[in-house]
Amino acid sequence: MGNEQKRPLLQVEDLQIEFRDHKLPETAVHDFDLCLTRGEIVGIVGESGAGKSLSALAVAGLLKRHSVIRDGKILFEDTDLLHCDRETLRGFQGDEISVIFQEPMSSLNPVHRIGRQVEESLRIHHPDIDAAGRRSRALEALRSVGLSDAERVYDSYPHELSGGMRQRVMIAAAMIAEPKVLIADEPTTALDVTVQAQIISLLKEINRTKHTTILFISHDLSLVRQLCHRVIVMKDGRIVEEGETESLFVHPKAPYTQELIAAIPGIDRKIPVHNDNQIILHVSNLDAGYRELGHTRQILHDITFSLKAGEILGLAGESGSGKSTLARTILGLLTPMEGTIEKRDFRPAMVFQDPYGSLNPAHTVEWILTEALTGGRRRRERAAECRKAVIDAMEQVELPESFLARRPSELSGGQRQRVAIAEALISGPNVLIADEPVSALDVTVQTQIIALLEKLRTQAGIAILLIAHDLRVIYKVCDRVLIMRDGRIVESGDVEQVYFHPQEQYTRDLLRAAGV
Amino acid sequence: MREWFANRNRLFRAGFVITALMFLLVLIGLVYTPYSPTAMDEGAKLMGFSLRHPLGTDHLGRDVYSRLLMGIRTTMLIALGTVSIGALVGSVIGAICGYFGGIPDELLMRVMDAMFAFPSILLALVFVSLFGSGRYHVIAALGIAFVPSFARTVRGEFLREKNRDYVTSAVLHGIGPIRIMFFHIMPNTRDVLLSSVLIGFNNAVLAEAGLSFLGIGVQPPDASLGRMLSESQQYLFKAPMTAFVPGFVLVLMILGFSLMGEGVRPDGE
Repeated sequence: MGNEQKRPLLQVEDLQIEFRDHKLPETAVHDFDLCLTRGEIVGIVGESGAGKSLSALAVAGLLKRHSVIRDGKILFEDTDLLHCDRETLRGFQGDEISVIFQEPMSSLNPVHRIGRQVEESLRIHHPDIDAAGRRSRALEALRSVGLSDAERVYDSYPHELSGGMRQRVMIAAAMIAEPKVLIADEPTTALDVTVQAQIISLLKEINRTKHTTILFISHDLSLVRQLCHRVIVMKDGRIVEEGETESLFVHPKAPYTQELIAAIPGIDRKIPVHNDNQIILHVSNLDAGYRELGHTRQILHDITFSLKAGEILGLAGESGSGKSTLARTILGLLTPMEGTIEKRDFRPAMVFQDPYGSLNPAHTVEWILTEALTGGRRRRERAAECRKAVIDAMEQVELPESFLARRPSELSGGQRQRVAIAEALISGPNVLIADEPVSALDVTVQTQIIALLEKLRTQAGIAILLIAHDLRVIYKVCDRVLIMRDGRIVESGDVEQVYFHPQEQYTRDLLRAAGV
Repeated sequence: MREWFANRNRLFRAGFVITALMFLLVLIGLVYTPYSPTAMDEGAKLMGFSLRHPLGTDHLGRDVYSRLLMGIRTTMLIALGTVSIGALVGSVIGAICGYFGGIPDELLMRVMDAMFAFPSILLALVFVSLFGSGRYHVIAALGIAFVPSFARTVRGEFLREKNRDYVTSAVLHGIGPIRIMFFHIMPNTRDVLLSSVLIGFNNAVLAEAGLSFLGIGVQPPDASLGRMLSESQQYLFKAPMTAFVPGFVLVLMILGFSLMGEGVRPDGE
């Protein structure tokens, strides 16, 4: 085995990838080298646009038509995948090299049953196996990814499964032909933290039992640290550092790696500002939900909590736990069914998760901010006053005045979220309700936005209700935290108390999954 | 302008050139036609191409080139009027239905569905037989018949856009529904709307030609492309060119708009 393991399974040399679209930077990936040996787990990390997915997909021969490989060599065992014909390449795809993608929703075909989709690569690569054989292989594959109810899953449609189950199905489909290399492109990004942890341990299990080589692409460094043996750090299409996981995390050499590691949330924490400020929002025994065609769907059950002026209150829980519904109810977008919401000098503004969706793409930053300031009732005689307020808001979020003329599409993710915060601030609120304000952003940008929110609290005394599924983000800035599950608050208290002495099993699971 | 043109895709540019050529012909026709488009000449019926009549003459001895310039103008005018009515009324109905939903949506959309069930040319036929023919009646008739398709398209866009965060954000800033509909959401339906306008233009050109061909559109002695086709039909074997010329221009006009319509689609090329 010893010799076998040293022999490279997949070798990539000097790979150059270019975009065909001339509007984008010409070369997307420069001099990408990679050497995978059997049974190894290698991580590629970097921010979005660093070229991680592009490089990995190139290895699988899956580049879209807007990008093209200019130069380089991709050797799988002894076959040159770059210069072979399409038939040979197809013979490798799905059989020797399999890929799982980020979005389990869109990678599965909604009109076919799960079983058929899991079997697909057998149907293509091993036509000699008959239907019964395929079925038993598929059931076995489903069981091996932890879907104990394999028969039922086999006959289900994708919409009948949860996100975590779908991703398991994708892994089963990728593993059914027992490939030698599994490329996992952000396989856990769309999943909740507890499900994330399960998928990671599943990948470890597969690697241990089947000696499958895994190429794991992620922007989440702590996942990479948990899973990978070796790590490649990419930035702007280049490899900036490469090494054994532990030594890279403990002694990062490249400044960019140091920056990335420093940006991992959750190690440090500022001492909370203990305040006896007045309560500006008190919610008691709140029930709320949606009315759909006659029947009501209750989401929130018996919610009680209060928010003080100038405090940062964290609201944590997995998706579907009712966090966003609670925010909508507080803001008056939903009418409560039961219970009371008391407000004393409560002037809220909202910051949304996705800065791509929360800024109107058809207008300039200045238009958006002016509209928010005037509530759509513009007056020509007050134009100068408006402009001053708009510029002030831009200053508060540390953006230059020149950005006013830009449209959202001309801004980066972090800049957009700053504009979204400026939009929220411009109406002079004393509370920001921030619904996952950083989860769509790269880690280094996350740190900057979190720092901005903290600054707003300390300098302008703005209270923040910070909704996040990432417990590390909450730990970093919040004074108190509420943990939600299935529309109820299961635990609440000072962050230290909840994090170090959790009372509920669910809180402990969440904390463990977050690696706090 | 130059940069704007260069940023479009190839389909759009090709369509744009063809359409610009059509507008140029309309402009020329306004300033100068070699003969009066309605002047008859008993001595020169159904002539082929010649120096005196570059595109020949029709069965009444009228100059085809002069009639063509007038015909393009009439057809364009009718198409423009039709699409304007359809797009304006349709967008407002679609916006209201999509944004508010509920009972007004149900009511209006069932009316639209009922109208949609009939071919637009049939609806126009009913309208024209009730109120009389002539170009303004044709515009009104086709315009109304075109409302449902625009209403549907815009409604669909609104249904999608109204759930996006920027709309919620506008609601939270106290902006009224009318302003949200027309200043916040409408600009984001621009691409889809432009594409349906251009494709609607096409259908309008075809519908006008159809109505005039049937003899209930533009009335003689006025010329429109459909009218010219209809008149030359009887003489198809004697003088094929009198039918070919308006037919060719009609195809070119439709091609121009189609290409532009395809080219502005967000997923074009």
